[in-house]
Amino acid sequence: MSRSSSPRIPKCSVTKVSQQQILARTVNTLPNEEGGAVLLDAQGITKSFAGIHALRGASLVLRAGEAHGLVGANGAGKSTFIKILAGLIRPDEGQFTWDGSQVSIGDPHHATHLGMTFIHQELAFIPHMTVLENIMLGLPKRTRLGSIDWQAIGKQIAPIAQRVGLDVPLGASAKTLSPTQNWLVNICRALVRDARLIVMDEPTAALAAPEAERLMAIVEDLTASGVAVLYVSHRLDEVMRLCKRATVFQDGRSIGELSGPSLSKASLIKAIVGGELGEQYEPKHFPDRNSQVALRVEGLSRAPRVKPVSFDLHRGEILGVGGLVGAGRSELARLIYGADKRDSGIMELEGQSYDPRSSTDAVQRGIGLVPEERRAEGIIPHRSIAFNMHLSSLAKITFAPIPILNWSERKARAKEIADKLLIKPRDVDVPVVRLSGGNQQKVVIGRWLLRRPKVLILDEPTRGVDIGARAEIHRLISQLATEGVAVLVISSDPDELPELCHRVIVLAEGAINGELNGSDITRNAIIAASYA
Amino acid sequence: MGVGAKRNLSLFARYATLIGLALMVLTFSLLSPTAFPTVSNFVNVVNQASLVVIIAVGLTMTVMMGELDLSVGYVASLCGILVVGFMTTNGLPVWLAIPAVICIGAAIGFINGVLVAKLKINSVIATLGVGTMLTGLAFAYSAGAPLVSGVPPIFVDISLGRWIPGIPNNIVLMALLAGLLWFVVERTPFGQEVQAVGGNASAARLAGISVDKIKIIGFMLSGAGAAITGILLASRLGSGTPGAGDSYLLTAFAAVFLGSATLRDGEFHILGTVIGALIIAFGFNGLNIFGAPTFSQYLLQGAILIVAVGISSFSRLLAES
Repeated sequence: MSRSSSPRIPKCSVTKVSQQQILARTVNTLPNEEGGAVLLDAQGITKSFAGIHALRGASLVLRAGEAHGLVGANGAGKSTFIKILAGLIRPDEGQFTWDGSQVSIGDPHHATHLGMTFIHQELAFIPHMTVLENIMLGLPKRTRLGSIDWQAIGKQIAPIAQRVGLDVPLGASAKTLSPTQNWLVNICRALVRDARLIVMDEPTAALAAPEAERLMAIVEDLTASGVAVLYVSHRLDEVMRLCKRATVFQDGRSIGELSGPSLSKASLIKAIVGGELGEQYEPKHFPDRNSQVALRVEGLSRAPRVKPVSFDLHRGEILGVGGLVGAGRSELARLIYGADKRDSGIMELEGQSYDPRSSTDAVQRGIGLVPEERRAEGIIPHRSIAFNMHLSSLAKITFAPIPILNWSERKARAKEIADKLLIKPRDVDVPVVRLSGGNQQKVVIGRWLLRRPKVLILDEPTRGVDIGARAEIHRLISQLATEGVAVLVISSDPDELPELCHRVIVLAEGAINGELNGSDITRNAIIAASYA
Repeated sequence: MGVGAKRNLSLFARYATLIGLALMVLTFSLLSPTAFPTVSNFVNVVNQASLVVIIAVGLTMTVMMGELDLSVGYVASLCGILVVGFMTTNGLPVWLAIPAVICIGAAIGFINGVLVAKLKINSVIATLGVGTMLTGLAFAYSAGAPLVSGVPPIFVDISLGRWIPGIPNNIVLMALLAGLLWFVVERTPFGQEVQAVGGNASAARLAGISVDKIKIIGFMLSGAGAAITGILLASRLGSGTPGAGDSYLLTAFAAVFLGSATLRDGEFHILGTVIGALIIAFGFNGLNIFGAPTFSQYLLQGAILIVAVGISSFSRLLAES
């Protein structure tokens, strides 16, 4: 978010806000019977992207000086709601009341001006600047003889830093900060800006338990002094501890506010999962449980996202990996694919020790990956369909042993796969950048059809593709499994795994939190197991 | 601008450099009908361009992968001195001195490649540093003076002779080497991998391509191409002269970038590089015929480089918009 100083924000100066005001902010609005007065009232917020509803009339009421939980499954609309609140995107419908008057949040400056600050999962700082410079970024600064008087500013900021327990000197370089310190600097930044509401998006996702504990103590301190906190988290225990009230989003709707005795972990999970059972799918029983184990994973870990994980993946099996965003699923895939180094654990591929040094090594050994970020990691955009398909199996289309490509065979094989996958257009010389998302994904899958790996990992295989392409991709995955390929499917779409998989393991905070088989694989069971 | 207009502009951009070449040849022919449009002058121009083409097609291998090799001019200079020195001072026969020096060029490329791919040093800095050190080595080896005495006539004949009547050998060598590299890039697994690394290195890595290895080999080819240019330059001059190849760096870059806007949308490719080098050679030839003063050649050289890079980025922008 841009923080450049703007004439439209007259109040953002530390020189104008005394330390006493910051340190001992009192709630100057009259408390009602439920605690503080209503600070933010969002009603009927609706937003759709390209015809797909991200929010359909979501509402949220937040009172001054309270910690308010916001929970919901992947895609429930939490992120969209926060972005609208921050002025990054504009809602299609709905209205906001802030501190008693109706507002329309036009841009991030406006949100800041109202007194909202946002602390995101990726805490962005300018690394080579000092902590103090980062805290003051974009704010008018006191000057002395024309130059910024950092000493005086430092003296003003010091009590705030002390209050949040920031244990690094203000002159330290921002790049040396740990995730916790980073977070504390962000809190300082919010306080200096006279924030009345701090929105925290998954604040503890990257932190170990003792650090998370410390952060929660600070949140309690903040709310005690009158700053409201919107606490967005998958960690329901933290929400339970910090918040007296929580709003649950489901499919873009707010399905209610839980508070007092009705607020419990069980009630939250129930609300997140919802009453609907989701679509019912024919349970897929794995035909041959005695088939050879293709990939054995034992105690595989990498701090902080993957705690020791163990499972067997059989030939011909489709194993789903469910869980929330940030649960460590893609990180697990990267370990298997040799893209990251593991901290501990062993792997076996068809009974032989498997220790990939790089993704090149993994491909050589017979592992394939359809990555999550199709454009950034899947395709070579300005090259042709044929080019992209053959990328992992170029040696197969040479006049071996002479390393020259058999141009006609190259084209014929690409055409064969393109026809099989119903890729449009059929002309395999077209650059893939001109294809739709679904067809690009089919090209990446086609690459592995040509390569024939022993184990194929698909990370979010149908994200952003249309319904027709999704069905075709599912059909292909099933066909590959029938032909003996061991398939690992990672998906955040709770309907995808029941539709596709013989078995599902659900990760929560980096560890396996549940395993589902056959008819037990349902949307609701996956979501319920996603919360540790 | 509408989609159709954009596509038309993009199409026009692909042929703009070729149209420019045609217009230039036409203009020079009309202005100087006796000196410019003759077979012997055209052969002369292509002969002049041949050394640029050889160094530039090698350079294309690194630029295609998104890296820059700024050492090529210095590699050419050093290799020119070494090949003469090996024959005169060390008494090596021609048939041994030439491959030895090409191997040295490739070895320098290997060092560049390791610095860039393994040690993750920015390729501009790495190759500039290596290139500057090579200049030092060249001066140390030659004591700063050109090596002129005792150059075997057979070595000079490589550049000045004609294996095919009417066609200077450098043109033949240029055609062979450019053709070979074109084939490697377009028709071998290695060439496809080079293009993949240049197109999207992360995707290439996840597809199982050893990106580091491909980059190192690319730099080795660039070094070898520069070495061959250095050898042919020494053969043409009949001496090993410090700094003789330095100026090839900018000309080669201009050729590579002009070429990227030719026939494709800002993608580097071998055929484009060859055409780019020819455009530059015709331009300088025309200026020579009209007796343009020396200073204007430098102005033109700098302007061509800027215009070439500009056209290249512009045509990429057009393709992506």
